[in-house]
Amino acid sequence: MSDVHSPYKMRPPVMQVRVEDSMDIMIVRDTTRRAAGLLGFSPAHRAQLATAAATLAELVLKTGEAHTVHLNGVVDNIRHGLQISSETPWLAGRSANNVLIALKSKMGDLVDEILLEETPTPTIMMIMWLDDTRSDSQGGT
Amino acid sequence: MALEVLLVEDSKTQAAQIKETLESVGLRVRIAYDGPDGLREAIANPPALIVLDVKLPTMDGFQVCRRLKRNPATQDIPVIMLTEKAGPKATMSGLRAGADDYIPKDIFASEHLIDTLHELGILED
Repeated sequence: MSDVHSPYKMRPPVMQVRVEDSMDIMIVRDTTRRAAGLLGFSPAHRAQLATAAATLAELVLKTGEAHTVHLNGVVDNIRHGLQISSETPWLAGRSANNVLIALKSKMGDLVDEILLEETPTPTIMMIMWLDDTRSDSQGGT
Repeated sequence: MALEVLLVEDSKTQAAQIKETLESVGLRVRIAYDGPDGLREAIANPPALIVLDVKLPTMDGFQVCRRLKRNPATQDIPVIMLTEKAGPKATMSGLRAGADDYIPKDIFASEHLIDTLHELGILED
């Protein structure tokens, strides 16, 4: 299993889905909704996160290689959120700026942050932070 | 008395499947087969929840949702979009139109729908 990368401190939930075929995209979507629910995101924000994760999984699948989509709670001072990430070795040597422009154009509305860590293995990270407007009626974690 | 859901879905097969899911958790279901009919039904007899398809004849689900959320008679009714259009653009279009959730019609759709009914307080925990 590969290490999970994040610029933020990680916390539960910690989940992962191996993406090998199109069925796994549905599993990524389902798992992401559940992880977002555990953190207290509202249904609408769960939908956004699930779509972001499924889109990343589709991107992974198109490369023809199996990879893992990781879902982690993250903390930054007092705020917490959900990070979706996957190693993307096929991006090695590509312009990080161009990759980020393409990702933000496709998925920038779905999450708060899209990051590309270039070393040791290129890794795409997408994060949505939880706030009062994004919290479900039960008040989250 | 069971809460009533208005289901706006043009496919009779899919409408029957979704109706069965909703009835299995004790809800009553009324069906409209296109957008204008759904709007008329929602205004004439406001339901507790609207489950709305996106691909509809005459007026798509995004337009229906925007009109529901602009109308004082229907703006507070929760709307769940249940759809085959699952990409980033469609998801954001649905949520920006005012939908309370946007659920793709995949194998987990029934589970996600019921989870959201709990979250929205339509079903008791």
